[in-house]
Amino acid sequence: SPAGDSWGIFTFLCAALCHLPALPALNCSEELGAGQSIQKTYDLTRYLEHQLRTLAGTYLNYLGPPFNEPDFNPPRLARAERVPSATVDLDLWRGLTDNARLAANYRAYSRLLCYLRALDGQAATAELRHRLGHFCSSLQGLVLSIAGVMSSLGYPLPVGPSVPPGSQGVVVVAPNDFLKKMDDFWLLKELQTWLWRSAKDFNRLKKKVPPAVVTLRLEARGF
Amino acid sequence: DSHTQYERVGADVTMKCGSMDWGSSVTWTANGTDIDESHLNGSYLILKNVDLTQSGQYSCYEGSSWHLKYQTYLSVGLPPKEPVLMCRSNNYPKGFYCSWHLPSPTYIPNFFNISVIHGTREMVCEKDVFPKNRCHIRYLQLFSTVKYKVTLTVTNALGKNSTTVTFDEFTIVKPDPPESVVAKPVPNNPRRLEVSWQNPSSWPDPESFPLKFFLRYRPLILDQWQHVELSDGTSHTITDAYAGKEYIIQVAAKDNDIGTWSDWSVAVHATPWTEEPKHLTTEAQMTETTSASTSSFMPPPTTKICDKGAVVGSGAVAVCWTAGLVLAAYGVLFI
Repeated sequence: SPAGDSWGIFTFLCAALCHLPALPALNCSEELGAGQSIQKTYDLTRYLEHQLRTLAGTYLNYLGPPFNEPDFNPPRLARAERVPSATVDLDLWRGLTDNARLAANYRAYSRLLCYLRALDGQAATAELRHRLGHFCSSLQGLVLSIAGVMSSLGYPLPVGPSVPPGSQGVVVVAPNDFLKKMDDFWLLKELQTWLWRSAKDFNRLKKKVPPAVVTLRLEARGF
Repeated sequence: DSHTQYERVGADVTMKCGSMDWGSSVTWTANGTDIDESHLNGSYLILKNVDLTQSGQYSCYEGSSWHLKYQTYLSVGLPPKEPVLMCRSNNYPKGFYCSWHLPSPTYIPNFFNISVIHGTREMVCEKDVFPKNRCHIRYLQLFSTVKYKVTLTVTNALGKNSTTVTFDEFTIVKPDPPESVVAKPVPNNPRRLEVSWQNPSSWPDPESFPLKFFLRYRPLILDQWQHVELSDGTSHTITDAYAGKEYIIQVAAKDNDIGTWSDWSVAVHATPWTEEPKHLTTEAQMTETTSASTSSFMPPPTTKICDKGAVVGSGAVAVCWTAGLVLAAYGVLFI
């Protein structure tokens, strides 16, 4: 039954926690200037991508075959759609406004962080808990960094990561061990793809946001 | 009416003379040349353990009337071995191309069929006119988590074979090498070389998908390369070149974040700027300098002035020295 399934409980908790208001952006990031903040965020995505390689390798080995096989190419099951996907139509991606681009990243990583934390809570080995814990901290740093950029550009933070209305309160359960592992596999895959995408997102932002923009904003606020 | 018959190398081939009985008297020819009766079994032609040289036009004529009763073109070949397939994105994010070839020839016509599957969707890989064994695909979506599965099947009259490659969107990104690499000496700087290049023209969007570069250089006389990685900009000044030595320089490109390095660009050669000689100690040395600088654009008589000045009187030396300077100046200008 759903109530007895610990994975279900974690998912429910996650959904509840993720409705808490997003952490406010640190004031000091405004002094940095949007250009520098974007660069820092970009650097963070590269760092995380590198870290993820080791983490994913360890975790997939823990899951065991076929998840740790390089050719493993399973079909995408409908249930996996809970994890936000980085996949997007090319023209749509190009046409995103800076605000929309940043918001998409912010929402995605906030949710991914939630799911990763749930994973951490269940990790069976000390090594895994250590790695997951460290990665979650870094990922949290990325979320804050994105929030900082949005704030310094005057964009409002998305109100909590969006949870599809239908699933509120409804616990999504992995009915068996294999499907649970499948969920974990896709979570890591989406995370990896988001980090690749974010590098491109922040590259685009770097080119489009000149430092002068922030100076004007600071003046307007009477700094 | 003739047709083509395909047979495998090493096979035993029996050809019947159309509707003629086994006992009929016939003559077989291969490319117009009569075939010896020892190869015949009745009216059947027997070719044992055929090889590539036996490909050709085989004809059978009725003994007395010399009517053509049967004709076929024998094509000896091999079934295809597993093909070699490679997919690459040199124009990210537009799409990718796949190219293939057979590791060894079959000597008979081959047909290639390629299929590209992305998740549940089958995509169409458009065949290129040139080069022939190549097709390209446009990405419909970017940043996909689902792998692409490409299967190439090669078929010919003697058999069939196939190969499959599976990959993620990001792993096959490999730009073409940088273009228009130019290396120039820097005036008055004997240890510098200015290198500049351009993004490969096949890379569609360097603004959103910037490239980073890897430069390698060495003097021709040494084997070891020096490397510089550059995260932006399409030029670089080498500041530690050995004075007067000719250098070989190459550049490679890579997407800033994903994929692999391109092949090395075409190599360019350059020598750092060198100062003109200020003192000419012996006449022989000077004649050497003069003739080295003259090459094709100074008339011989000027050299002769120096030659004639065998006795080193100050006047003659002054003329020679001036001529040498002018020639050297011309030489530097025209390098």
